[in-house]
Amino acid sequence: MATDVQTAGRPAHEAEYAQKIEQLRELFADAPEVGKKALENVLSEIRAQASEEPPPPIESAGRMGSRLGKVSELTLIVPFAPGGADRLRTFLRLFGGNLQRADDVGTVHDMRFVFLDNDTRMLFATAYDGDWDAYIDDFASKIPDFLDIIDSAWEGWPGIRSPEAKDYLAKHQVTAEGWYVANDLTVAETRRLRHIGKAVDEFLDKVGD
Amino acid sequence: MALIDRVGGALPRGDVGIQLDDIQATVLRYRPEPYYGTHVMVHVADASAGRTFLQRIAPHVESAADWWQGSEAWIAVAITYPGLVALGLPEDSLRSFPEAFRVGMAARADQLLDRGENDPKHWDAPFGSGLVHIAVTVFSNSEETWRQAMDSARRHYDGQPGLSVLTTEDFGAQPGDLNPLGYRDSIGQPAIAGSGVDPLPGQGAPIKAGELILGYPGEAGVPLPAPQPDVLGRNGTYVGLRKYQSRVGAFNRFLQAHATTDAERELLAAKLVGRWRSGAPLTLAPTNDDPELGADPLRNDDFTYGADLDGQQVPFGSHMRRMNPRDTKLALLTDVKVHRIIRRSTTYGAPYDPNAVSERDDLTPRGIHFIFLSAKAMATMEFLQQEWINNGNFMSLGDERDPNVGLQEDGATFTIPAEPVRRRIHGIPTFNVLRGGEYFFMPSLSALRWIGDLAQRRSG
Repeated sequence: MATDVQTAGRPAHEAEYAQKIEQLRELFADAPEVGKKALENVLSEIRAQASEEPPPPIESAGRMGSRLGKVSELTLIVPFAPGGADRLRTFLRLFGGNLQRADDVGTVHDMRFVFLDNDTRMLFATAYDGDWDAYIDDFASKIPDFLDIIDSAWEGWPGIRSPEAKDYLAKHQVTAEGWYVANDLTVAETRRLRHIGKAVDEFLDKVGD
Repeated sequence: MALIDRVGGALPRGDVGIQLDDIQATVLRYRPEPYYGTHVMVHVADASAGRTFLQRIAPHVESAADWWQGSEAWIAVAITYPGLVALGLPEDSLRSFPEAFRVGMAARADQLLDRGENDPKHWDAPFGSGLVHIAVTVFSNSEETWRQAMDSARRHYDGQPGLSVLTTEDFGAQPGDLNPLGYRDSIGQPAIAGSGVDPLPGQGAPIKAGELILGYPGEAGVPLPAPQPDVLGRNGTYVGLRKYQSRVGAFNRFLQAHATTDAERELLAAKLVGRWRSGAPLTLAPTNDDPELGADPLRNDDFTYGADLDGQQVPFGSHMRRMNPRDTKLALLTDVKVHRIIRRSTTYGAPYDPNAVSERDDLTPRGIHFIFLSAKAMATMEFLQQEWINNGNFMSLGDERDPNVGLQEDGATFTIPAEPVRRRIHGIPTFNVLRGGEYFFMPSLSALRWIGDLAQRRSG
């Protein structure tokens, strides 16, 4: 099967790609029949597009996490402290679960707080702009209480002002293996474009009247 | 001239809450006016020779006591991580330094975005080689006292077995203290709580000493992690040095290509920086330079952006507004106070020449040793390079970069807000190219003695 992947005389990255496909086929040898069939369909589709430039791989978002263009992902899986899940849930319900107040941060696209395993662990996932720790000192100085209310639900949280805070987060962070970003725009750029779009519409409305 | 003389004796004195007599003078003392001096980079091949050198020079290293009065020649000493290793610091002390300091500035090129022509592989020797161990700097307010201080410093390292001088770089920008692009610089400095001097007009609320000097509480209420033992870390700080070559030809060509009259060129030059060449800020002198204002330390920094919300005086992307946004409403949640640095930059080489327009003029040796001090200098410089210098997101400027120290990409832009429509200049080149850099630890006077006495204490 692997012989139909031509490697001779091709650039190194294509040989590397062929090797990855071979490895994939080996792993799929034990997969259910539907998976094997699906893989062959997808591989022939990819071969048909072989002349197109492959998309760039995801980059590192600094110390941990993945980044595509300007947008990074951060996923934490953290054990709750005793009583932490109840405290955090009740706190989030104060806002009906809506964290609109995070608008001011200006780098956060989205956030989710998911309670797992019978309230013993939590998954926190966010998409944000830039490097994950660039603004931690700013948060520690501008919104420490908000962060410490949320994060003190976690076992062993040292406090956002502690020099250990970054290490704590890094310890519980899991880097995503796959990452997709539809619009390579920062939150600030999106807001600016929305502002410009509105102004252009107003202008066109006036011209059209 | 010392700070107190520059303000005609009218210095707002405040409480002293830090150990000025143990902190090195350079941390608090402003660069003299006029200024002369030299940076000497020393390599230590033999630990005991290095320690003997520190023992001998320590009594000549000036403290910050009464720093607002002094401007006679002074000597400062700072040590790189390879230098601390070469001096034989104990293992647990070495491990107590932060990672970015231990690996050095060149190894942090990715985090500092020092790529392309700023890549460490293009740097001048000996920067980034790991050979630079100790920096000895002399600052002075006259040529004569500078020479005298250099003679007395030189006696301690010249011809000493086990020590070698890697490079000696003189600095100074006479007449007029103008930087290589022709501006008065180093104007805005942070006010430091407990320094003995209350904020000058416009300096804003004083910053907690621990942000800038190790051993004191910072803005978050706790001291930053400091090297151990306590005597080594306390009253010390970190120094970053970044040596830039200024492309004066490219700068002048840019001004000529995008402005037609002398007055327009000078206004464009002011828009790039936020200040006229005299130092007068565009907030206080929006249409014409005002040299008297520029020279007055009680007035030249006394403004907010409250009356310039749309950037029509000082463009959002200008160097001054980026490096200290003050009360500008930023797109991202930011505490401006935790990103401030003390600046003691020095200009070297040929003075600014407004008629230099050729590409050969870009190579004339002249530029700036951008020198910054902070208790977290490495983290702050990485933040500044990533967020405020080589990025425009925090000011809603997209990918636009700092016109002064940014590394520009092809087709880079600079936006000047104006009515009815903003002006956007395309194709701004890199005016200052990085030619070297190092991180140093600037120990307290007691830490200098502690390092100097290491071997005796160990054997005893």
